[in-house]
Amino acid sequence: MPDKEKPTVRKPDKPFYFNTSEHLLRIGRQKACNLSELLQALQTCPDDSIFQHTFRTLQEHHFIRQGFSNDFGHWSLAACNEPALAEQLASVDVREFTAIEGLRRRMIEILDQFLQERPRSASRPAFEPFYFCAADIVVLPTPFAPDTLAGFLDGLNQVSVHSIHHHFIEARLRLHRMSNDFSNWLEQEVGLTEAAEAVERIDIYTSTMEGVRMQIARIVSQAMNN
Amino acid sequence: MNSNDRSAISATPVVDPLAQTTAPAPKIDRRSNAPGPSPGRRASDRRLPASIFTPPAPPPPPHLDDYATIVGQPQLDTLRFLAKELKGKSIKMVNSTAVGGGVAEMLNRLVPLLSELEVATHWDVITGGNDFFEVTKAFHNALHGSSYDLTKAAQDIFLMYNEQNRERMRFDEEMVVIHDPQPAGLIRSKPKTSSHWVWRCHIDLSNPDARVWDFLRPFVEQYDAAIFSSQSFARQLPIPQYLFYPCIDPLSEKNKELPDSEVQKICDDFGIDRSRPIVTQVSRFDRLKDPLGVVQAYKLAKKYVDCQLVLAGGGATDDPEGAVVLKEVKDAAGEDPDIIILDLPPWCAREINAIQRASTIIVQKSLKEGFGLTVTEALWKGKPTIAGAVGGIPNQIIHKLTGVLVHSVEGCAFQIRYLLTHPEFARSIGMAGREHVKENFLMTTNVKRWLLLFRILENARARKPAA
Repeated sequence: MPDKEKPTVRKPDKPFYFNTSEHLLRIGRQKACNLSELLQALQTCPDDSIFQHTFRTLQEHHFIRQGFSNDFGHWSLAACNEPALAEQLASVDVREFTAIEGLRRRMIEILDQFLQERPRSASRPAFEPFYFCAADIVVLPTPFAPDTLAGFLDGLNQVSVHSIHHHFIEARLRLHRMSNDFSNWLEQEVGLTEAAEAVERIDIYTSTMEGVRMQIARIVSQAMNN
Repeated sequence: MNSNDRSAISATPVVDPLAQTTAPAPKIDRRSNAPGPSPGRRASDRRLPASIFTPPAPPPPPHLDDYATIVGQPQLDTLRFLAKELKGKSIKMVNSTAVGGGVAEMLNRLVPLLSELEVATHWDVITGGNDFFEVTKAFHNALHGSSYDLTKAAQDIFLMYNEQNRERMRFDEEMVVIHDPQPAGLIRSKPKTSSHWVWRCHIDLSNPDARVWDFLRPFVEQYDAAIFSSQSFARQLPIPQYLFYPCIDPLSEKNKELPDSEVQKICDDFGIDRSRPIVTQVSRFDRLKDPLGVVQAYKLAKKYVDCQLVLAGGGATDDPEGAVVLKEVKDAAGEDPDIIILDLPPWCAREINAIQRASTIIVQKSLKEGFGLTVTEALWKGKPTIAGAVGGIPNQIIHKLTGVLVHSVEGCAFQIRYLLTHPEFARSIGMAGREHVKENFLMTTNVKRWLLLFRILENARARKPAA
């Protein structure tokens, strides 16, 4: 079998600026006491509420490896005792969306379909209401701005998990493309296309954010040593 | 007060030397003839730690760097970056008491940490006569849902003392934070200042007495923002409302790491056998904490699994109803030698810490709850925790992920059995619970929230077009 061609590692033109984002939770005006009200609120709530209960909740619960995906799915199970709906909502992968509107439509579609099939579930009171929240976001720099692959690895290992979430998950909404800041830099600045693709394929729903950090570090280390 | 001078913080609790000599001894009741570490010897005969009888002097507040090993350097870097833009600006905190109660306890730690970040933070306490505090205590209960006949005289007393304090105080800081309803009327000074005014409400407003809320609401609506401890505690208001979870200090006597030898010694002193499973509830002897339900749940579970039950708390000395509840709990415990009831004075934080650390499972089977900081403490110690799904507890316990939520005595009994016989699962929820606290309910996160709010209010003002 012929040897696989070694990737050419370039010296990056631009450093990787590790940033982090911090959020302050705002209590919204809407709440839902049953699934019908949830559907209605999903249609009218602000985009930043959808962001909070999907993208952002992953950051708040970054230490959970399984069983937690988004607040809508969690509430459907914990407060409405609807495991089938909870499974469907929880299976929505935020990384398939580059804009909040698409994510909102998908959630509405699932809930609407479910309530059409089981109309009696619509008005059954939930054990506790769903309170819509949103977050005010402040993006901050970190001390790490490496311009080498070794420096990138060092920064990756030292920043907070909030920084990993910022670059790996929230980045889609900023970039409006199916990628993340790490893969972008590895591909465009360092020429590590395969490593960039491998990073993009990491499953965030079966790993903690610390686990994600370790997987990225492993992929980059392997690429450096090849 | 010079906010950078730690020694000048006026609201540090002061130990009353008289109290040291008159403090009541704790009451320890291990059902007689107990098998355990000292068979045949009643727990009340045991030698007890000196700290039980004498309130210890409060340790000095920690510095920011002391938290690095707990939350990690990146978190401290974040705090410093956030504070950098606010350097030179100042905050005033106003509440109604300098000692005792959760708000004073929290401010005692928060104020020096913000000041260390060079965001000068001043803490003022309002003054008032007994009539004022009687009215505000009644307001407090009414806002929690008790019925109250709000008279014109009560309104006048509230307004008069707020006016007196308003005339006495200066509001030169860029952000003024008023804690709870007692000083809410200070907002009348807002038009004379350029400060951001924030109302921090620590109580549950989900079901307030309508007359009291209607009286307070016009004051609250004049603030620039309000802060609540849970989504469910908030009201519909025309101002932005933020969510600040209450927090614990991982370096406090109640929560810091303890050497195992000290945990062992305290357990020995109380007659707790660490070689067998320990199920603990820490709370006042109060019906809303359902200690009788916990005894029932223990008895149901005990049919299947071996364990001891520790009920550690206070409130039986200074609260007549507490004494009644304590007696009922003792009666319910009967002669069971494995039920250990500890009526401890409020300064026994280190002992509570040790008991929590020695526990196999921690229970908080409340029927009604504020946020439930005893749950936070249990989770922080990595303990598998079973708690009633009330108040702010569901914010902390994500069912089967960071703990277990229950709704009945039977549910509680089943979960005790399950967790004692599935140690791997118990360990996994305990670990996730600790991470949940680290991320959301520690003092450092609270500092971050205040800095974020300050920056957000400053930025919003900067963006606002000039009138």
